[in-house]
Amino acid sequence: MKNSLKVERAIKNITQEELAKQIGVTRQAINSIELNKYVPSTVLSLKLSRYFSKTVNELFSLEESD
Amino acid sequence: MKTKFLFPNRFKRIGWIILVPSAILGILIFFGIVDFKFLEVKVFAIYSGSLLPGGETVFGVINENISEEIFEILCIVGAILVAFSKEKQEDEFIAKTRLESLVWATYINYAILILCLILFYGTGFLYVLWFNMFTLLIFFIIRFYYILYKS
Repeated sequence: MKNSLKVERAIKNITQEELAKQIGVTRQAINSIELNKYVPSTVLSLKLSRYFSKTVNELFSLEESD
Repeated sequence: MKTKFLFPNRFKRIGWIILVPSAILGILIFFGIVDFKFLEVKVFAIYSGSLLPGGETVFGVINENISEEIFEILCIVGAILVAFSKEKQEDEFIAKTRLESLVWATYINYAILILCLILFYGTGFLYVLWFNMFTLLIFFIIRFYYILYKS
């Protein structure tokens, strides 16, 4: 699964730390999602979607291997 | 995030304060560098084995230096508190890392134990078992904090 979190974060010009604080998770969680090391839960995906005012499908997309 | 079976975050610090000194003292006692003679007391034993003939005790009172036992218990309690206290902030990533680290630590611990089973014999293996009391928790703590620090 790919995600455009890093891009969206750059557009909003906020750090991982700030985003984590806004969403209510750890900075490590945000970092691991961006590095494709961790697939967030539906709840966390929806929170990110709400924060960036983007649909979940715009933030996350399936890859060939999924 | 709701978490089950974990201690509050403040217990983590208490855990370190218990673990570090008792581990150091435990190792010093293990290698015979220090001994606490005044802790030689009579204790109740369900079973106490001995290499000497007639040295066995079943459901009786024996003379024992309980310093090792004290520091072993403190080490285990301290390590449990360090390992299983909540982080300042808990989330799903931390929960996943905790679970994975526990599985990883269990595999590593038993892999090493199996290796030691075929390499250590007699009292040598007894020492292995002694260290094995703590290694599962130690491996877990190392791996869990390494992953959190790296991320």
